[in-house]
Amino acid sequence: MQLFRIIFVDPWPWWFGGIAIGLLVPFMYYYLNTALGVSTGYGNLVKLFIPHSKLKWLNSPTYKNVFNWRIYFIGGMILGGFLSARLSGSPLLTAEMGLFTQRVQWPYAVYLVWFLFGGILLGLGSRIAGGCTSGHSIHGIANLHASSILSTVFFLLFGAIGVALIRMAFMGGL
Amino acid sequence: MSKNLQYMIFGTIFGFVLSRVGASDYDLIFKMFTAEDLKLAYVIITAILTAGVSMRVLARLGMKGRGGAPINVSKKPLQMKKNIIGGTIFGLGWAISGACPGTVLAQVGEGKLLGLVTMFGMILGTFLYAIMAERQKE
Repeated sequence: MQLFRIIFVDPWPWWFGGIAIGLLVPFMYYYLNTALGVSTGYGNLVKLFIPHSKLKWLNSPTYKNVFNWRIYFIGGMILGGFLSARLSGSPLLTAEMGLFTQRVQWPYAVYLVWFLFGGILLGLGSRIAGGCTSGHSIHGIANLHASSILSTVFFLLFGAIGVALIRMAFMGGL
Repeated sequence: MSKNLQYMIFGTIFGFVLSRVGASDYDLIFKMFTAEDLKLAYVIITAILTAGVSMRVLARLGMKGRGGAPINVSKKPLQMKKNIIGGTIFGLGWAISGACPGTVLAQVGEGKLLGLVTMFGMILGTFLYAIMAERQKE
């Protein structure tokens, strides 16, 4: 029972999670000759909604077959989050989002717009930058790619600037 | 085992680990950016070091995968302007949503409704990129 708690209930220590995530990179190369990356798969999700789009980018070789490996990988990630939450005994659904919904008192509809807007920036930004936290910050930096180091510096810099601005504007100051 | 099933297993492990270590927790992302709690920064640094060292090991072993098949390490070309502009937009999105493209999927699995909204936003943002790419080509 103690072991069950350590693995499935208590949050993992940083070093254990870090090593586990880091090992995904060589193992995905070894078994599947594939670079770790998530954000490219959102193109597949776009195509699920508009399968007959004539936009050239959605018909590039990457997205020729919408049900390629990226869909399975994304589906697995959702399943992984589900299993983690179920085994740890957290509620099935939650409308809250931690400190944000505690400290910022807005009507729920405004929360929806806020998080939708954040998502739009993430989708647009990762495509322009050519990757996200997994493809650039972990896979790319581990392989010492200059584009990944540069992108990650801006991810973190503007993440910190953004949070500082949010605190000043909506959370009563820094 | 079919390849797609293997990809799904890797995805499941990734989503599970992100959730277990707290990467899908809004508060830990927020506190990383305020430097109140740097747990996730340590997670990212450990992940980079682990991946970096093990890629060196794979290189020493001749960059061969299972069954001796050659491994092709994908390389993202440096595009200064795009990396900087995209990185800036992404960083602001990270601050607003408290999630990134991977952790938001774990949030959806955990049943966070606002995470689902962020995920739909990401699909919309990617669609916007497809439209922008179309205009640039003309």
